[in-house]
Amino acid sequence: MRVLAHSYVCPNGTFLNGKLIFDTKAEENPLKFTYQQLGTEYPKFYKMDVLSKMAFIGTELLLPFFPESLDTENDLQLLFANASSSQHTDNQFVDSYEKLHNPSPSLFVYTLPNIVTGELCIRYKWYGENCFFIEKQFNAKNYVEWAQMGFNKGNTLCLCGWIEAKTTGEQECFLFLLSPSRETQTSTETELSTLIKQYRNE
Amino acid sequence: MSDLKENLKAQIIEQLNLEDLTPADIQDDAPLFGDQGLGLDSIDALEFIVLLDANYGIKITDPNQGKEIFQSVNTLADYISKNQ
Amino acid sequence: MNKSVYIQYLSLVTPLGTTVEQHLEAFRNGSSGIRIAEKSGFQDSSLPLAKRTEITSNRYDSLLREGLENIQMTLPGNTAGKIAVIVSSTKGNLDLLPEDAFSSTRTIIRQFFPEAPVFIISNACISGVIAINTAADYLLADTYDQVLVTGIDAISEFVSYGFQSLFALSSEACKPFDKSRNGTTLGEGCGIVLVSKEKMLNHAVLYKGGSSSNDANHISGPSRTGEGLVRSIERTFKRSGLSASDIDFISAHGTATVFNDEMESIAFGRTQLDRAPLNSMKGYFGHTLGAAGILETIMSIVSMEQNLLFPNLGFSETGISVPLNIIQHLESREVKTVLKTASGFGGGNASLILQKEG
Repeated sequence: MRVLAHSYVCPNGTFLNGKLIFDTKAEENPLKFTYQQLGTEYPKFYKMDVLSKMAFIGTELLLPFFPESLDTENDLQLLFANASSSQHTDNQFVDSYEKLHNPSPSLFVYTLPNIVTGELCIRYKWYGENCFFIEKQFNAKNYVEWAQMGFNKGNTLCLCGWIEAKTTGEQECFLFLLSPSRETQTSTETELSTLIKQYRNE
Repeated sequence: MSDLKENLKAQIIEQLNLEDLTPADIQDDAPLFGDQGLGLDSIDALEFIVLLDANYGIKITDPNQGKEIFQSVNTLADYISKNQ
Repeated sequence: MNKSVYIQYLSLVTPLGTTVEQHLEAFRNGSSGIRIAEKSGFQDSSLPLAKRTEITSNRYDSLLREGLENIQMTLPGNTAGKIAVIVSSTKGNLDLLPEDAFSSTRTIIRQFFPEAPVFIISNACISGVIAINTAADYLLADTYDQVLVTGIDAISEFVSYGFQSLFALSSEACKPFDKSRNGTTLGEGCGIVLVSKEKMLNHAVLYKGGSSSNDANHISGPSRTGEGLVRSIERTFKRSGLSASDIDFISAHGTATVFNDEMESIAFGRTQLDRAPLNSMKGYFGHTLGAAGILETIMSIVSMEQNLLFPNLGFSETGISVPLNIIQHLESREVKTVLKTASGFGGGNASLILQKEG
């Protein structure tokens, strides 16, 4: 298995393959700033929750690294995970009925973590397999296992994501593109574990 | 009328949680729904019904009626000034 | 698929009871778990709900414990590395908000299976079907020998208010595929199946294959063309080496919202499945979200075991543009091969095929 490319979005900045692309340390609204820097026209961006916005930015940057020879419309699998589910929007939705006395339909539709992968599929016309896992923390071994299971049943490419927006304010989105190859699963695991540590400055 | 439109834009941003936008980002005559403009959809139409009721005391009972009214900030302001 | 994968039911806890016998009885008699629940909706409105009235507090945790305690067998081979647990749930325990809503899930599972790794899948209403597919993938990859798949969701004001805000709830017990349907009815439950390399119980059936597919259309509205469901069914046919003519029964999703059921009818028409006997079980269980795929798979296995087709409760007159073979009366006939489907928010669709051995 090979890591074809990776991106990382957090309030401090947006990175592609380890390099800082947009520095947002001084920005009041890092995601809006980054979206505008991308120069992409996709008005729906403004309606999205934080999770979907981060995933949108991270994926736009990875697009040039998708192998053209593959049938991404059908054979690209999305495997996403986080620890906090849709916690950030869940709490906003609770506020809409407890404090504002009007349960908000446009918030409610974002109170599921897999809306993130749904938004990506809509944007890029991907009809492949999706799965969203809730995990205690980022676990490289699990991603590699899940991706391999996907390759075993005929998927040819896998976009993986660890994406978090907690009520504490913690936000990050680590995306990586996996493709089957002769490299061992163990070396891919080690590579992914190292990458996320570097991005987090751990 | 222009005050009403400015208020409406602020209310739309708040009601639809479009926190990244400012009233200046919304044009008076730009389509609110569909792939252009703000790219709003049927779920957001439900939010407009809540908005009109909560802020202007206007009740819309037939969601189909909303299609005409919710086209743009202009059509919304028009409807509010005639029905309030 | 060269290796065999078996699936068997272990436990189900719903408003209809805690044993397969009780559920069989209810399904035979057309008894629904749905009742009007006073003051359960927003601003004290009344809602029809399939609520387990025996539970009065901490609904999610209580339901999960009840489901696990209710497991009707001693699991052999319960050793580290050989058995894993997958939980399918859309929301976990919402009482835990603003903190982690899934923390109690892990704690409770660990009390019952201290050695087993726990995976949680939260992929809206298709979680249950995806969880079974993932369990089978783990067995085929030789990572585990047995995977216990637990589907669970509890009734909460959060979810009820949300569906109300979308005008997606029916004013009476939901009527899947019926002309007068006007929304779904929420339910709650916990269902547990064992997916295994070896046949563990007499009623075991074979898991022949499964898949998922996204509509790539809208985050909350079903596709008008049924595109994702069509692609998922076709992929599942390909993976299982079976086709529409092999299907004796479809356990459909059938939420009873106007658009969902219409979408399913188009998809079943496009896949030449419109003649296959079909039901939605939402009229019995309500929509149990993360538990739906598991509970409906359990009752599909019961259908196969009993050679009985259960009626689509709440249906009287067809209200979809592609006519389907909706089961209206209890019928005895050989049920060998079953297609289970699910569709949900986020544009997700999933399917799997079960077959009797031999």
